[in-house]
Amino acid sequence: MTKRSDRVGAGVAIALLIAFPVAAQTGQSAPTAKAPVISDTGRLQGPRQPVFFRHDVHAGQDQIPCLYCHNTVTISSEPGIPALQTCFGCHQMIGGSTPSHQAEIKKVREAWVNKRPPEWTRVHALPGFVRFPHQRHIKILGTESCINCHGDVRGMPQVYQFATLKMGWCITCHVQRNVSRDCTVCHY
Amino acid sequence: MDRRRFLTVLGATGGAAAAASACDIKAEPTEHLVPYLVPPENQVPGTATYYATTCRECGAGCGLHAKVREGRVIKLEGNPESPINQGRLCSRGQAALQGLYNPDRVTDPMERGPSGEWRKLSWDDAIARLQAKTKEARGKGIAFVTGLESGSFGELVDAWMKKVGGRHVTCEPFAFEALREGNRIAFGTPAIPWYDFANARYIVSFGADFMETWLSPVAYQNGFSRAHGFDAGRDAAMAKFVYVGPRLALTGMSADEWIAAAPGTEGMLALAMAHVIVTERLAPVPADMGRVRAALDANAPERVAAAVGIEAQTITRLAREFAASKGGLAVAGGIAAQYANGAEIVAAVNILNYVAGQVGKTVKFGPNHALAAAGSFRQLTDLVRDMSAGKVALLLAHGANPGHSLPAAFSQALGHVGYRVSFSSYLDETAAASDLVLPDLHPLEQWNDSRPRTGVYALQQPVMQPVFPGTRHAGEVLLEAAGKSGSFKDYLQSRWRGVHQRYGRGRGFDEFWNDALQHGGVYADAPAENVRLSLEVTRASSPDRPALGWRPSPDEPALVVFPSIALHDGRGANKPWLQELPDPVSKITWHGWVEVHPDTAARWQVAAGDIVLLKSPFGTVRAPVWITPGVRPDVLAVPTGQGHKAYGRYAKDRSFNAFELLSDVPTPYGGRAHVVSVAVATTGDHRHLATTEGDAREQGRGVIEVLPLARARELKRGAHPFSERETPPYADRAMRGWADAQREKASLGNYAGEHPRWAMAIDLAKCTGCSACVTACYAENNLATVGEELVSRRRQMSWLRIERYYTSGDAGRPVGAVVTPMLCQQCGNAPCEPVCPVYAAYHTPDGLNGQVYNRCVGTRYCANNCPYKVRYFNWYNYAEPGGEWESWPDPLNMLLNPDVTVREKGVMEKCTFCVQRIRGAQNRARLEDRNVQDGDITPACAQACPSEAIVFGDLHDKTSRVAALAQDPRGYHVLAGLNTQPAITYLAKVVHGAVAEA
Repeated sequence: MTKRSDRVGAGVAIALLIAFPVAAQTGQSAPTAKAPVISDTGRLQGPRQPVFFRHDVHAGQDQIPCLYCHNTVTISSEPGIPALQTCFGCHQMIGGSTPSHQAEIKKVREAWVNKRPPEWTRVHALPGFVRFPHQRHIKILGTESCINCHGDVRGMPQVYQFATLKMGWCITCHVQRNVSRDCTVCHY
Repeated sequence: MDRRRFLTVLGATGGAAAAASACDIKAEPTEHLVPYLVPPENQVPGTATYYATTCRECGAGCGLHAKVREGRVIKLEGNPESPINQGRLCSRGQAALQGLYNPDRVTDPMERGPSGEWRKLSWDDAIARLQAKTKEARGKGIAFVTGLESGSFGELVDAWMKKVGGRHVTCEPFAFEALREGNRIAFGTPAIPWYDFANARYIVSFGADFMETWLSPVAYQNGFSRAHGFDAGRDAAMAKFVYVGPRLALTGMSADEWIAAAPGTEGMLALAMAHVIVTERLAPVPADMGRVRAALDANAPERVAAAVGIEAQTITRLAREFAASKGGLAVAGGIAAQYANGAEIVAAVNILNYVAGQVGKTVKFGPNHALAAAGSFRQLTDLVRDMSAGKVALLLAHGANPGHSLPAAFSQALGHVGYRVSFSSYLDETAAASDLVLPDLHPLEQWNDSRPRTGVYALQQPVMQPVFPGTRHAGEVLLEAAGKSGSFKDYLQSRWRGVHQRYGRGRGFDEFWNDALQHGGVYADAPAENVRLSLEVTRASSPDRPALGWRPSPDEPALVVFPSIALHDGRGANKPWLQELPDPVSKITWHGWVEVHPDTAARWQVAAGDIVLLKSPFGTVRAPVWITPGVRPDVLAVPTGQGHKAYGRYAKDRSFNAFELLSDVPTPYGGRAHVVSVAVATTGDHRHLATTEGDAREQGRGVIEVLPLARARELKRGAHPFSERETPPYADRAMRGWADAQREKASLGNYAGEHPRWAMAIDLAKCTGCSACVTACYAENNLATVGEELVSRRRQMSWLRIERYYTSGDAGRPVGAVVTPMLCQQCGNAPCEPVCPVYAAYHTPDGLNGQVYNRCVGTRYCANNCPYKVRYFNWYNYAEPGGEWESWPDPLNMLLNPDVTVREKGVMEKCTFCVQRIRGAQNRARLEDRNVQDGDITPACAQACPSEAIVFGDLHDKTSRVAALAQDPRGYHVLAGLNTQPAITYLAKVVHGAVAEA
């Protein structure tokens, strides 16, 4: 079964004008601790990405809400990955405090100048015959519920697949919450 | 042993084999996510954006809504605001997508090298070449051939041709020359009026195929179904429809009465009817009647009856009915306007409307069709003559392919032209014979406009970035070649200043422009024009003038060349959706045919599929025979569209080109005669026709129920003439225990509680069989096109098919036809479900017969057990890139709907009422904290249907339209005796007169 839709182009439409840090507003009980210095990236879980984008720094330490970058998650089936413009919006100013951060931020700036966005390796992928409407789940479970499936990325220097994303895992939750287990809710 | 247990056992014994083959399963390849640099405006990933634009597949100018996902257009739907198509769209319009993503598009400018090979060149070089050649050709003859361009691009071509001293010739193979000339003869104006079908009470079509290719088929079919559909609540009676023509075309299949008048005598019949109306004073006699009195007297029913081939009293009856309806509408077109005397026939039909007092009522001059500005066949043949004489040094072609419609003459003449430039997106016959190809953008990628009828200004905007960045807007190329600055959009906007002044209502231009873009254009009413009989009208009648030049007989038959509803003049031939769309009449796909009456076939001793040689005075083709009662015994009929020598992989070298049989000499009215005499010879060869027809007759199976109008009117609310006893007693007894078990199962788990029951009502009094729904289903649900060979092996994937059955026709009774859409009935008690060993076919809580593709293991038990035969099996991997059976070669795969799984080999698939649209609507409703409302969900078929015959909704919502229609006295279920309890209620067709037997 191959769904030949192109998720590759899935980007972000409108950068919501959320000023940050707004952790206080969203009540994020984040680990406010400083993200650790990582000397050996080889030991990190998850695929190595073209830019060492650290969710633990952005979402954890800096407490930027998920929706700042993945801003269509509440209105569409796709959460969207941020356009390079979103990255550059901040990193035009923020150059990084340590040499390793500076090196990664430099990659972003070069990508912007060269108009060549990084090709992220996809971590969370569902087979083509599965539909997962993000917006419906966020509507019910709230904007803090990303954690349920994606794990607490505030503590992940490099994102890895937290849940199996297998059907049994989906169904477990649907059974617990007594919501639809009809096949054609996801498969069509 | 239940099914699960059965499988467990099977699994244990087959374990070794399974383990061995498991090694083949590879890990999913790594996917990459490439973010946007800057997010595009108005695009939300995973959510569609709709842009209004205009369809350019024919001259009708229907409004479009282009559904765009992640920057790619994936479906075309009608624009509900357009006064032309009212939100509906035909097959050809929807298939524009396959022109956009066509794998055979020309991607870059090309020129012919010294040894005839194509060489790419840069746009700068290409435009420099064009400029140089134009300069060189000045004074030596320049001609620009385009299709119908009623908007700014046409004006630009005109202006440029004026500047360089050339001429602009419009080439439309079906340009309605006779209609224009006939109107000029009768009323002194070549304008083509708007015909108000919706308010007609009695419709007589003299050959006009107004549901297929005539003027504005979607609009007219929509209007027709409003007049001819049965509505018990309406005061006035259902309009009666009489079709006059030598062959029962799709349009004729909806007729209450088919009159197979002898070819060329349609005008006599019209005048005879007018004669009755005048002599019996059935309508107020117009003051200028005197001008036509002689013509009418010469065509009294008794005098023409023999020639026409029907009885005089039938003519009198028709005339009386026509006048008594007080809303008669007679239209002439199709083959009736393509004889040598086509213009006179049109004039005669005009007179009929005039004496019945209908001109100004159902025939509205004022909102005239743009087609009146189309060129004529004579202009084209004049051009060809000049080309042959070496008087054309530079020929440019855009949106027209005379190399196909005028095959021999044009190709020969092309050889005498100094330099040939084509703006075609495809290497069609004309482009292939060019020296320079400057590929234009597809209409969905470009700015332009058109004025399909007076008062309607339709805008075209690019709905996505060009598929091939090396293509360029022809308008922009012309502007640059002419040395003008600015883009074509600027030019377009400059033309729209005038529209703004008239319709801007005080708004600034930008506001006005944006508003027009959003709505697809500006829609204004055109003031009515009054017409009177012209002095020339006496020309309308010369009953002795021979229409054909000989009297057709089965030994010397008349061959009629008619436009294909799907391929039109051939422009649709490289689109697999249109190739695989069964012709609504013959049900043949991927090939042409010749229609032969059964008696004639018996005489010649030919069977369906036998190849005969058709030899006209102008050309010869080989065509397979298709035997049909829907054609006169002395007439043969062949469709246009096929027989391309170039154009692309789907079109090339397929079947025969019917245009080769036609004369290259224009008729007196400047058109082309589409009827010729042919000599027929059998060849002994045979071709298996790739048809989707099962049985030509319905055999009384109750698939299509028909009620006479008188009976339908009597039916009271709550009456159920078709469902007094749906399940026979023996079935009840046999199934009682099983049904109880089913019910118990259905009350378990999440099946319990409140759920909708999705259902559909299909009104056969409205359905015409035009098959727009079929293409809509292909587009929405990623249906594979399988090709001619697999269709002939009955492996087509059309989830929705139109079944056509002939009625009557024996013992001299007139032939008719009935049609019905057949799709999954979403049975409440579905035979497919219990036989699935893996629960891939199962019953959803909302009443659908779900099909879980990732569960299906391909036993095909379900299809075997389906009494409606609406399940389709993937015998091959149609999505495999580069595979033998690949259905979507790149970039055709870009039109795939990302909301629907593309099925793989070994999987059964079927209609699920567009479940992706149901879930989408539910998701939206949930987000907005509301329930799904009636009308929120429209399956693709219902949305496209030009006659609005399909209604979808929730049966449990007692206020829904579908719940009301399910209780309609005309309602019935197909094969209800099988106790399948379908969710689709068909509403019986209603006919004037008696019901013909199946």
